[in-house]
Amino acid sequence: MKRLILTIVVLSCCLFAKAQIVIDTISTEALNEVLIEQVERLADDSDEDANYNYEELLEQYIFFIDNPINLNSDDIIELLELRLISVFQCEALKKYRRYYGDFLFLEELEMVEGFDEQTLSIIAPIVYVGKDNSKDKITLSKMARYGKHQVLGRYEQILEHQQGYDPISDSALLAKPNSRYLGSPQRYQLKYTYNYRNKIRAGFVLEKDPGEMFFTDNVSDTIKALLGDKYRRGFDHIGFHLYAKDLGIVKAAALGDYQLSFGQGLTMWTGMNYGKVVTGSSVMKQGRGVAPKTSASEYSYMRGAAVTLGGGPFRGTVFYSNRMVDANITVTDTLDEAEYISSLQETGYHRTIGEILDSRAIRQQVVGGHLSFAVSHFEVGYTLHHTWLSAALLLNPSNYNQYYFQGRQLTNQGIDFKYVKGKFAFFGEGAMCFNTDSTALIQAEGLSRFAGLIGMSVKPAGYLNFTLAYRDYGKAYQNLFSNAFGEGSRNQGQRGMYLGVEVAPAPYWNIQAYADLFKFTWLTSQVYAPSWGHDYYLRLSHSFNRRTTAYLQIRSKTKMKNSTDGFVFSRYPIFYTKNSVRFNINYSVRDFHFCNKAEYAHYRNEDGSNSHGFFICQDVAYKPENKPFSLSFRYALFDTDDYDSRVYAYENDVLYSFSVPALYGKGMRMYLLGKWQIINNLTLYARIGSTIYRDRDEIGSGLTLIEGNHKTDLKVELVWKL
Amino acid sequence: MKKPLLLITLIVLSFNLFAHDFINPIGGRAAAMGGCSVASRGLWAMQNNPAGMAYLDKFSLGLYYENRWFLPETAYKSAALAVPVKFGCLGLSFNQFGSSKYSENKFGLAYAKDFGPYLQIGLQLDYLLINNGENYGKQSAVTFELGLQSQVTEKLRLGTYIFNPVSFKLKQTLNQEKLPIVFRFGLAYQFTKDFVGQCEIEKNTEREGVSLRGGLEYEAFKNFYLRAGLQTNPGLLTFGLGYEIRFVRIDVAAQLHQVLGASIQIGMIFSIGK
Repeated sequence: MKRLILTIVVLSCCLFAKAQIVIDTISTEALNEVLIEQVERLADDSDEDANYNYEELLEQYIFFIDNPINLNSDDIIELLELRLISVFQCEALKKYRRYYGDFLFLEELEMVEGFDEQTLSIIAPIVYVGKDNSKDKITLSKMARYGKHQVLGRYEQILEHQQGYDPISDSALLAKPNSRYLGSPQRYQLKYTYNYRNKIRAGFVLEKDPGEMFFTDNVSDTIKALLGDKYRRGFDHIGFHLYAKDLGIVKAAALGDYQLSFGQGLTMWTGMNYGKVVTGSSVMKQGRGVAPKTSASEYSYMRGAAVTLGGGPFRGTVFYSNRMVDANITVTDTLDEAEYISSLQETGYHRTIGEILDSRAIRQQVVGGHLSFAVSHFEVGYTLHHTWLSAALLLNPSNYNQYYFQGRQLTNQGIDFKYVKGKFAFFGEGAMCFNTDSTALIQAEGLSRFAGLIGMSVKPAGYLNFTLAYRDYGKAYQNLFSNAFGEGSRNQGQRGMYLGVEVAPAPYWNIQAYADLFKFTWLTSQVYAPSWGHDYYLRLSHSFNRRTTAYLQIRSKTKMKNSTDGFVFSRYPIFYTKNSVRFNINYSVRDFHFCNKAEYAHYRNEDGSNSHGFFICQDVAYKPENKPFSLSFRYALFDTDDYDSRVYAYENDVLYSFSVPALYGKGMRMYLLGKWQIINNLTLYARIGSTIYRDRDEIGSGLTLIEGNHKTDLKVELVWKL
Repeated sequence: MKKPLLLITLIVLSFNLFAHDFINPIGGRAAAMGGCSVASRGLWAMQNNPAGMAYLDKFSLGLYYENRWFLPETAYKSAALAVPVKFGCLGLSFNQFGSSKYSENKFGLAYAKDFGPYLQIGLQLDYLLINNGENYGKQSAVTFELGLQSQVTEKLRLGTYIFNPVSFKLKQTLNQEKLPIVFRFGLAYQFTKDFVGQCEIEKNTEREGVSLRGGLEYEAFKNFYLRAGLQTNPGLLTFGLGYEIRFVRIDVAAQLHQVLGASIQIGMIFSIGK
């Protein structure tokens, strides 16, 4: 009976067009906005050392656009992981399904508690309503017939000549080995992926970065001899993955490249970290467990095998990874055959002699497991893993890095929990490390090898949601795969308190804000004393109507760095603050989409120096319905006093790619992006972007120096879907 | 005598800082509303954002005079003629800043088109001429300006305008001096039938920082308007009145600068047609 009434209600809603909202807006615009917001904030944060992996983030979103999530399956948890819905919305979805059975229409989402128009327009393009067929049998013939194949080829290049590609004589190169790139300035990527109902996935990726050697190169024999067995031809990076999910008791299995994410990321979390998110469940993370690694990124991933088995409330994962990683070898002691490395390289670039000699220098092996127990509202998990390096890591001694990981072996373990019921969600993780090679200093001083994160989200009313989190990462907490919430990318020697709020004070208005107060309990690089700071964020957004949305965003971040005293020993930490205000408005007129953005950035040092930056732009996109092509264009002006007051602005790009250039100096930035669906399943993307400076005659420095006032980048991509 | 000379020198110097002044917002209404003009409609839109003249349905002629700080040497004169045609609206414009000793002249040919109620696009081709008095010759340049307006809701109108988007240079100058690029965007919000608020942001590549503007207009009686506004960088407070009688509209404005004093702007528009 309930079902019948519901159906009538839904149908009548459809008739009275209110529920048409969902149908109307199955465009990816709203989703795109969320993505842009995330990428821009991550870029803003990346001033430290964090190598954020935007490409992976993009891949996840785009993957679900092509392979939507069934609202009637357990995959809805992916929406939570993508930060598109909050933990409360996820619970409400499950509750709705328990009471009313499976979804019949997408429009029913509007009746689920906490699903407003905004959420609907965001998730609409990546969900669908279907029978939960996750229990269906998988046969090879079905896999062959219904599997989706995708082949992607991409070329990109900076068109201006860069100094690193200048011709050079062997003797000059030998004298300064890192003064030239050995390869050509193009980037090539070739990727193949196969997907059968998100359950069976496979693929490979080949990549050559700009400056890396390819099938042809002009490297002389002397240089070849110098490089020895590091001299390779062809693609520099080769990766592959095989992945299966939900096959009886095998909940997930991966072979090749994969990502691991458990608990709150304090013990094991490779790949993407979302930073300080405000939307949805805020700080609380939802690990994906074992997931395939499909992007071409060359760091922070596992290569080997992993399997997750599940039965009843239990789930267990074991994994093993064995891969060569880039490292800087410093000492090779021929007597006892001991090798030492001074650092692990994470850029993935192998362009100069130095970089090539560092490439795949040592073997990294990781073995470990995760065990979890989940009942209706509660989940607890335990993670344990051990890492071996084939050569001992011996950092260049410095005060700030004396408690960092050194040696050959490291063991980590952690316990995580989650409790979500009604208006409350509690989460946390505690972890510790054992380093048998640990320096005597750490033991003698009795420094903390523990790290902990605890938090809660509360939703006292439908329009209000706030999150409180506290973290304390010990001075000597060492972990090579930790990627938990925090300031900067290192989960070590940090304490902090976070409060985030999301309020919808009136229809069509939304406020997101957070404050994060943090303290580094030990020195960090370029800060010669324990330091502290804060990060405030406020975003006020409003939709005037379905086609017009605007937001105002204010951010203020204060941290410490060394004063610029000429004499090293008399430097001391001073505060610096970066404030930024941004206004953004999006509107569309039939097939045209427009966007205006204006940003002001202000950078202030405690010693009194100041700098300012401005950015202003107009975007025009033409996306005709029922036509096989679309175009987008940007025109932007920027004017900043220096690099500190730089502005980041997300730019639309070819599929699966991203660009968030840091703009500084004075000049203009333009790009034109075209998409053309040549035939049904073959799409061509091309993009040309140009930055023209008004205040300089040469751009960049060192190997990337360009003589002239303009820098042009070109990308061409072909995507073939079967 | 010395004092005014000094003042003029100072002002001319400050103008050099401001670089060229081809793209000052024109019209008594814009002047009274802190310079807000990018989301405005009407004849003067031809000079401020050509998209705004797309909907003009009357043959219109406008004359504008601005006397900056009561100095004849810094007078700003402008004239515009709009001719609605079947395929949009055509316009001719002329601006002059300065005196016989130094003047900046702009000649424009404008065209704007209405793409339904939501979107208007405008374009103006410009010929610029700088006259440096008897002994120092002339410099000229050709460029264009582009504008866009969109009535996104009944109450909200958005506008964007770019002058010289591809950065043309002034010919006959020593080092091929660049013309400024000017980028504005802003909105007009119709709070009630008789009350309008506007705000906009402007970036001029030859000036430090950006300029923010805000303005209000209240129709106190039928066809009688009271206006006020504010602009930053340079900081100005502005006030004005407007009155419309049959085919003539007169707009008067005053702008106050805390150091340089007051400027007066007067604009008249004659419209003939339906």
